[in-house]
Amino acid sequence: MNTVFVRPELCIGCRHCEVACAVEHAQSKTIFGAIGEERISQPRIHVEPGIDYLTFPNRCRHCDPAPCMQVCPTEALVRDRETGSVLVDYGRCIGCAVCAMACPFGIITFHSVHQLSAGRDVNAKCDNCIERQNSGKIPACAEACKTGALEFGDANDLIRVSRKDFTLRMQKSEGTDVEVPRIPENVRAFRAILKEIAEMS
Amino acid sequence: MYDSHAAQKIAENRALDKNDQEMIVKAMDDGIETVWDRFADQQPQCGFGQLGVCCNRCAMGPCRIEPFGKKPTRGVCGATADLIVARNLLDDLVTGAAAHSDHGREVLEVLLATAEGKSQGYQILDEAKLHRVAEEYGIKTKGRKKEAVAGDLARALLEEYGTLKNRIQMAERAPEKTKDAWKKAGIVPRSVDREIVESMHRIHMGVGADYTNILLHAMRTSLSDGWGGSMMATEASDILFGTPTPISTWANLATLSRDKVNVVLHGHNPILSEMIVKAAEDPELVKRAQKAGAKGINLVGMCCTGNELLMRHGIPIAGTLLDQELAIATGAVEVMVIDYQCIFPSITHTASCYHTKVVATSEKSKVPGAIYKEFHPATGLDTAKEIIGLAIENFANRNPDRVRIPEKPMHMMAGFSEEAIRKALGGTYKPLIDAIVAGKIKGAVGIVGCNNPKIKQDYGHITLAKELIRRDILVVETGCAAIASGKAGLLVPEAADMAGPGLKSVCNALKIPPVLHMGSCVDCSRILMLAANIAKELNVGIGDLPLGGAAPEWYSQKAISIGTYFVSSGVYTVLGIPPKIFGSTNVVNLLAGQLNGVVNASFAVEPDPVKAADLLEAEINRKRKALGI
Repeated sequence: MNTVFVRPELCIGCRHCEVACAVEHAQSKTIFGAIGEERISQPRIHVEPGIDYLTFPNRCRHCDPAPCMQVCPTEALVRDRETGSVLVDYGRCIGCAVCAMACPFGIITFHSVHQLSAGRDVNAKCDNCIERQNSGKIPACAEACKTGALEFGDANDLIRVSRKDFTLRMQKSEGTDVEVPRIPENVRAFRAILKEIAEMS
Repeated sequence: MYDSHAAQKIAENRALDKNDQEMIVKAMDDGIETVWDRFADQQPQCGFGQLGVCCNRCAMGPCRIEPFGKKPTRGVCGATADLIVARNLLDDLVTGAAAHSDHGREVLEVLLATAEGKSQGYQILDEAKLHRVAEEYGIKTKGRKKEAVAGDLARALLEEYGTLKNRIQMAERAPEKTKDAWKKAGIVPRSVDREIVESMHRIHMGVGADYTNILLHAMRTSLSDGWGGSMMATEASDILFGTPTPISTWANLATLSRDKVNVVLHGHNPILSEMIVKAAEDPELVKRAQKAGAKGINLVGMCCTGNELLMRHGIPIAGTLLDQELAIATGAVEVMVIDYQCIFPSITHTASCYHTKVVATSEKSKVPGAIYKEFHPATGLDTAKEIIGLAIENFANRNPDRVRIPEKPMHMMAGFSEEAIRKALGGTYKPLIDAIVAGKIKGAVGIVGCNNPKIKQDYGHITLAKELIRRDILVVETGCAAIASGKAGLLVPEAADMAGPGLKSVCNALKIPPVLHMGSCVDCSRILMLAANIAKELNVGIGDLPLGGAAPEWYSQKAISIGTYFVSSGVYTVLGIPPKIFGSTNVVNLLAGQLNGVVNASFAVEPDPVKAADLLEAEINRKRKALGI
């Protein structure tokens, strides 16, 4: 099972993934074209601020079974067998937002899309960059992420990285002093300052 | 449904001052977007930018360095995190130095025009200072008309911007030991414009890759500001408009008037606003205001233009950087006059929600939606009168149903120029030095800088100032920090009750507040002169004195320049907001540690004002110990 795995400790809130996502889903697929299109492409991944100025890149998990698919009254949500992606048939979507109510992650948003000439707002959720995947590329968000907060690959492989770190930590008896992944001292110092600022207000 | 309790809670998180809170709630009631809303809209802010590892200078980029130890570790050109962080910091610093120094140049141009009889409404008010500075520059004063001396001096000072003599005369005012440290480090400022231009050169791709070398030049550039551009701005303003002496007035948004025509003077350069002060006293204009149904004309200041007028004329001050929108939200401002620096680009958008007219006055600071009245020395007074006329006309458009002005202005004292402090001490620093040696006063800290929506407005300034005076540390202030203290009631002699017993006794004996307002942000040069003169009396360097600096709520590039010339002059400085340098451990270590070996001072970052006070007290104790006191 391939997935975009999120390591929130590595997210620094740059929103590169949001921009890359919006560009990928624009008609022109270029940044300079995207900003001038009639229906401006919106990101389908959301970098949300949380506590202490920390951020989390929130994206469709392409669940299976998918609660959104289960509740959709018009069967507008379909699964791509090859990649496991949950896709939207924009023509069938009636914008009722029941899918969004069922989504455990709150990632479904409604926008007009260039594929529909009618211009109505439809479920414009993450399509797992199906076109890119079909041509051998990884999703745009994971490609854009420079810090490794978003990594694309086999879920078990990506999880294994964390597990291996945990094993080493137990063997070295470093306990909770070691974080996975390791955060450099300077970034840790900066985050401590932001936490202090956040706590002051 | 609108929840007034929730709105009050939000306001309490945004600002310390009750009047500010009241106006924040009103702004929310009125549906006005403010800086805090825009700050929330900007979350999250990019981590590459915050860490300083984003480089957007050339067309091979933009580039960024991965901060967690992965690739990319270099920009396309090959720059490392250290280099990118250092270049970005120099870029910020030089922007600030340029802002101060260009402000100074404009004051000098007015001085020159006045000397040549080509200005309208201006005169040379402080002849003693004119003579003092002229003598420093080797200009003959004896038996000469003040205009002739002023002309020579203005030209000599303007020449400092591009001087070929490889030194700035004013920087000679620093103590010998301090200058020796500069010479040893190779950071003696050579001219004002040269350091600024060279900074711009050095941040070009391929002009050096050594972050230390870049930061040394940053220090030299900051010195050309503090001991050059800013100091000339202060001195020339004093010569033209008078050196400040202690004066009483009022602070906060309640200084706006219910029944008078309100004019807010916002920005940094006092040259036009000085004429507006004159124009507002014009009996004909006062009569016109009364005819329009107002009880008179009420001028209030904002930010550093406000500080300049407050220091010399006791014009009340409405507030700081974060008060500019709140002043308009009272619905009672007829005209906001802007010159430049720290004026929100959206200010006309805010004003358009009320009857307020924004009047832009500087050719270099035009704002769409503002009425433009260009300032020229030759027509300064006429322009000022036109602006007052405009405000009077606009009084009829004020909608009383939308007006709410807070009730209680705060009493405050200002006007503590270096000369005024010396005079209050009896003409010499000896009494202050004795008090420091005796331990009655442990030392002094300059709290300077801005507001920043990242920290509750004024909380950092006020908490730090109160902590320091409680520990018998004298506080001197400029800029928005000083206005914050005015609003909070720290700038009155009675505030000495909040000070420790030693500082309290000194303040009571001299009838001065424990926190001294020394002026605008270019007047941080007054703090340098205060430190220099004390050091000279003791025959030591500034770095030997038990002093500190702090910018608890800074936002502006100018604050980077100020902080750096403080540190470069030997004053340990604590920043409440992290500068964009944490992407480079080497740069952090240099600024927060290794600089001690160069100038006997360094930077620290500490948002919590109580912990910042601990750091400053520890540094003061370190220096006291080294002095053997």
